[in-house]
Amino acid sequence: MNRRHLLKTAALVALATAASSHWNLSMAQGKGSIFTLAYPTSFPDLDPATSFSNDGAVLANVYEGLTRYIPATEGAEAKIEPLLATSWNVSGDGKTWTFHLREGVKFHDGSPLTSEAVKGSIERTKKIGGGASFIWGSVTSIQAPDPLTVVFVLSDTQPLDLIASAGFAAWIYAPSSHDKDNAWFNKGNDAGTGPFRISRYEPGQRAVLERAEGYWGKVPEGAFQTISFEIIEDTTLAQNMIESGQADWTETIPFENLKAMQANPDLRVVVNPSFETLFGLYNVKRAPLDRAKVRQALSLAFPYDDVISAGTMGLGTRAKGVVPAGIWGHDPDAPIPQTDLKAAAALLAEEGIQPGLELVMTYSTSQNLSAVAGELWKANLETLGITLTLQPMAWEAQWQLGKSNPAAAQDIFVMFWWPTFVTPYDYLFNLFHSEEKPNFNLGYYSNPEFDAKIDEAAKLSGTDRPRAEKLFIEAQRKVIEDAAAVFMLDRPNVHIIRSDIKGYVDNPAYGHVTFVNEMSR
Amino acid sequence: MELVRYILRRTILSTFVVVGVTFLVFIVAQVVPSDPAALYAGPRPTAEQIEKARQELNLDAPLAERFVTFAKAMAAGDFGVSYKSRRLIADDLRAYLPATLELAIFSTGLALLIGIPLGVLAAARQGNWPDRLSSLGSIAAVAMPTFFLAMILQLIFAQWLGILPLSGRLSREISIAAPLPMITGFNLIDAVLAGRIEVVGDALKHLILPALTLASYPAGVAMRLTRSAMIEILERRHVTAARALGLSEPRILFGHALPNAMGPALTVIGLSFAYALTGAVLVEIIFAWPGLGRYVSEAILAKDFPVIAAVTMVVTICYVVMNLLIDVAQALVDPRVALS
Repeated sequence: MNRRHLLKTAALVALATAASSHWNLSMAQGKGSIFTLAYPTSFPDLDPATSFSNDGAVLANVYEGLTRYIPATEGAEAKIEPLLATSWNVSGDGKTWTFHLREGVKFHDGSPLTSEAVKGSIERTKKIGGGASFIWGSVTSIQAPDPLTVVFVLSDTQPLDLIASAGFAAWIYAPSSHDKDNAWFNKGNDAGTGPFRISRYEPGQRAVLERAEGYWGKVPEGAFQTISFEIIEDTTLAQNMIESGQADWTETIPFENLKAMQANPDLRVVVNPSFETLFGLYNVKRAPLDRAKVRQALSLAFPYDDVISAGTMGLGTRAKGVVPAGIWGHDPDAPIPQTDLKAAAALLAEEGIQPGLELVMTYSTSQNLSAVAGELWKANLETLGITLTLQPMAWEAQWQLGKSNPAAAQDIFVMFWWPTFVTPYDYLFNLFHSEEKPNFNLGYYSNPEFDAKIDEAAKLSGTDRPRAEKLFIEAQRKVIEDAAAVFMLDRPNVHIIRSDIKGYVDNPAYGHVTFVNEMSR
Repeated sequence: MELVRYILRRTILSTFVVVGVTFLVFIVAQVVPSDPAALYAGPRPTAEQIEKARQELNLDAPLAERFVTFAKAMAAGDFGVSYKSRRLIADDLRAYLPATLELAIFSTGLALLIGIPLGVLAAARQGNWPDRLSSLGSIAAVAMPTFFLAMILQLIFAQWLGILPLSGRLSREISIAAPLPMITGFNLIDAVLAGRIEVVGDALKHLILPALTLASYPAGVAMRLTRSAMIEILERRHVTAARALGLSEPRILFGHALPNAMGPALTVIGLSFAYALTGAVLVEIIFAWPGLGRYVSEAILAKDFPVIAAVTMVVTICYVVMNLLIDVAQALVDPRVALS
């Protein structure tokens, strides 16, 4: 081969390279579009039965449940929307639920949605028993009287329409996958009915979703054809990517960087309420926090507004008790304490608390906001002669300590809570219902009157929601009156998207999920 | 004969190192305050789910019994499943290890390519400005924190000049629209095997910044070591003899002096490779490089012990094997090594 020949070949190769990469690009951008998310964490589990983490962001675009929860806004009340079920009803005793399924829905493998498929999905989820499968705990049998009707029989009264809207463990998947194991799903296979299917999964790196053919729902003209979840742990890199247009969506940008991003015309900083509440559970089993007045004094010393402005750049909102705004059962007029150091000092004096009291607050190392809250609270308590020791721990260790012996555990257990499905019972039961062996009631609060109220409300949630709501609010007021916990703030959901993205709606019932179906550029 | 005995001795010693690390890894896992069952059961488990997990993981068995199970599994290359993802760790390693090795090999090569010639140059011009400049450069390269250098490089080459990609292993147009079939896991090799020349260029472009970041420290060390070894050798009599014979300066430097200074350079390969494997944690996170470092950092935060153990073992083995090869190479280059 002489030199000229070599040069010619090289030129041809270069040309072919350019042409092929151009072809790749135009193919990918085909009908306008890849929606790229710089996602901060990987997706540990793509099995619709056991997924109980950030994988929901992927699964919610691939799978659908029977219903979907639409939170309350200023103009409208919260509601449960039909999804794979078009209508449903409940028997008078609240123990038999009948769902009528949507006609003409197909799974990604081409098989039709039938009542047998619904029955098989929930039965597989229940049988594996992992993740959030406990939401189906009271289902004793599922029947399929005809192809489009499915009947759930429960052991006790439960709001099954709400349970079916959960962002975890409530997905319906194709019968052909019901005998598959967890590994099959985690190879990147899917069996959903949703607008997208998983076309490529590189664990720890990316998940690529393509439009599923023959989706039953409305797909607007020009809507995205491809979703690419790029796993980007480094927040600086995520910020670079969204600023340079390599990503269209991201979250977990430090609050202090948001001002600059708000000023950038290419970006939109979307702030929404989340269903995540930060609170500290007081250890009511150990002196001196076994006395309600001492706990009240501590809550009066908490710097609510300062934590919101310093910890979230003013984007967070004041927590009104246990159940956050947007969820039914939220109590907008809850008698929450305001920061008042004088009143706190008076209460402490009344209780005979001498200066020199030492308290330990534990929180998870990954929760920056808890650290800010702790530091500011500590400063306030110092003026009252109380030393608050902040103890950051790995979540597992913190939880382990909390579950051990209350007499030797922390004084204040700080954590976030979000609901597995949207019901006040999820918050109130897990955090405050009497527990023989503590699991999440890590303040060890126990009040038979409270228990009775929320248990009855839970029974009524399927049949008489207004009455249930009233009882839930009464129960929350009891918790506030007893000062079982300090309700620090409701965390804001901050997402950054490129300004040219249309149709973005955030739904706090599905934390950090972006429903891409109706979005376009 | 001496060489064979030497290799045998080194191999046996290396095996001890691996066994020792297995033991250490297991012990450390017992000391860490964390409940594997709670981890395995998921983010918000019920008490029953945790109990089920405890039985599944056989956590109630005696410590000795569990160590034997663990060591046996490790010896068989069965790393088990991740607590967090429940994926087979062996499958994950198959995907992540080549990415890290590709980066480590490339950066080691880069370090030698930069460090050795600069060292030779500095020694040849000892005390003059090329020496001062490269000495200063090597100090800067060694002193600069990895994460800082990484961000500076990203800022200059990706953000300002826009000539190199910010992150990842391949452009998204390729990885999404026309992905590369995974054969060896080394993108450069796979691209050639698949006959996709355009991907080779793309993969190389993505390699440059992270590899340069990782190469900075070992390049500095290589430069220093080569320089001092060369200075020593240049004063020897055979070099003077070569000069007297009228050989050209480059020929003296690269033909006669450098081969004799190769011992330190070989040491640098081992050092650089080990540095690339462990330093990969930071660099891989900053460049979103899907390798072992990123994999294990996530596992550490989640206390995903089987993954941490598996990665520790793999890195140990890579390191031990690499060191063994270098020892052998050194013995081949300089027979005195095998005798000592």
